[in-house]
Amino acid sequence: MKLNTLLALLLAVPMAAKAVEFNWSGFGTAGYAISDNANRYQRFITDRGTFNRDSVFGGQLDVKLSPQFGATIQARLAPAADSDSRWEPSLAWAFLSWRPLDDFLLRAGKLRVPLMLNTENQDVGATYPFVRLPVEVYSTAPTTDIWGVMFSKSWWRADWEWGLDGYYGKINYFQRLHVRDMPQQGGGATWYDPTRLEGGGLVLSLRADEDVYRIGYHRIETRRRQGGIISDLAFTPLPSPPYQPGEGLYDVSSSPQVDATVSQLLTLGASVALPEGFQLTAEYARLLSPDAVNGWNRWSAYAALAKRIGRWTPYGYYAQMQSAGNVLRRYQAVENNNVSIPAPGMAASQHLAADYLIAHDQSTWAVGTAYQLTPRSLLKTEWSQTHTGIVSSFIDAPSGGSSANQRIDVFSVSYSFTF
Amino acid sequence: MRKRLLLLLFAQLVARGAIAGEPVAVIAYAGMPKTDVAALQRLYTGRSVSIGQLSAVPINLPVGHPVRQSFLESLLGQNDEQYTAYWLVRRYVGKGAPPKELADVGEVLDYVRNTPGAVGYLPQSSVPPGVNVIFRR
Repeated sequence: MKLNTLLALLLAVPMAAKAVEFNWSGFGTAGYAISDNANRYQRFITDRGTFNRDSVFGGQLDVKLSPQFGATIQARLAPAADSDSRWEPSLAWAFLSWRPLDDFLLRAGKLRVPLMLNTENQDVGATYPFVRLPVEVYSTAPTTDIWGVMFSKSWWRADWEWGLDGYYGKINYFQRLHVRDMPQQGGGATWYDPTRLEGGGLVLSLRADEDVYRIGYHRIETRRRQGGIISDLAFTPLPSPPYQPGEGLYDVSSSPQVDATVSQLLTLGASVALPEGFQLTAEYARLLSPDAVNGWNRWSAYAALAKRIGRWTPYGYYAQMQSAGNVLRRYQAVENNNVSIPAPGMAASQHLAADYLIAHDQSTWAVGTAYQLTPRSLLKTEWSQTHTGIVSSFIDAPSGGSSANQRIDVFSVSYSFTF
Repeated sequence: MRKRLLLLLFAQLVARGAIAGEPVAVIAYAGMPKTDVAALQRLYTGRSVSIGQLSAVPINLPVGHPVRQSFLESLLGQNDEQYTAYWLVRRYVGKGAPPKELADVGEVLDYVRNTPGAVGYLPQSSVPPGVNVIFRR
């Protein structure tokens, strides 16, 4: 429906056929990743190897109706947003743009928000040297697409440019949840919860020569499309006797819920050219969600150093992500909750409750290199090592197991291109 | 018609001899005002769509063309590869597509003379009389 509206608007814009320019382009990444761990990491990566984690293919049509008016549609083919087993085509972008002034750009439609430095171009691997952008930081928001409006205002001088981007919009997406143990059926399960996100943000950036600095503030309202959001896990005491005083169970079904949570996200980023051709890039994200005790409360950061040597760009980075202290303490309390008289299903119910928190505590070291085959194509390879602390919800831990204190090595190779 | 063909032939012949580093003249549709380096930099990097108060349509020569290389290096301080990389990112952050490319200076000259707002560039030695030159490097 929204796409139909957009196309109708596109056709309604008065245009002289001679002036309209169509500009096609395409992009893609064929990426393979394999780990030394049988459990799925980042949805797909296991010791059996996968093409699903990093591969994506897309096409983009830029229509220039006049110097001031334009339209852009980008379609992509990638693993589905609501399934781990199939691919699907989707509309990544579909927006109209209007530039009433040289320094002011207005866009409306389906857009990608300027969350982190490479969020908008994250599907186009040929635009950055990393095999994959650090998941700790680039997964801060469950989706970065919105249907809405965005403005971009800029101020220039000879050697610097300030930019201010603001947006507001909403989007339906699927929140992935993997639980290790289902109390009734037994075994693990993964499902995608239909969720709605609405919000806006302001991002201020400064470009000076090859350096970029960025700070952003975003406000996000999240609500499940069916049911409420658990605000905190309820602890239900067990009768004493026969149980010991203070014993009880964390219970998902009787936990208090809120209709929606409002989160605030602060982002900081910089990419700075250093002497000898080095480029230092660092980003930080702090997500605060006071309405609920869950993994939405967290911080993440990474620092990367790269150096261009001819066609090679070797790099290394360190990334870390950690849920707020109260979330990790709650996770540990639930995960380690024991009762003196265990009953069937009790441990599974506590695992289920703990997994509902979607908590994170992990860090990653990575080294890799990109090799520029042509100005429009890169061959990349990377080795990374992830360490988990208390928990990592990026790992689909096995039934009865845990994602705590793991070390996962991942070897990746990819080919990214545009045309 | 014959005069126009001769002008195009003249421009083609001169451009074939152009080498990187030869001074470049920026030409525009009749009536477009004179401009400066900063305005042209913004126009060719997609950060503005006008010169003065008039809408502008920048035109490029194809990748690898010696006149293009000379233009990019003298105006933007970039080589072809850097300029391509710049537009690669800019396109995929949703801020527009790179300027239209025409095959040779003859096509550029023809397009600029006949398209309101068009802006292109030629080797200075191949600018025919009567063409609106808005900047010389």
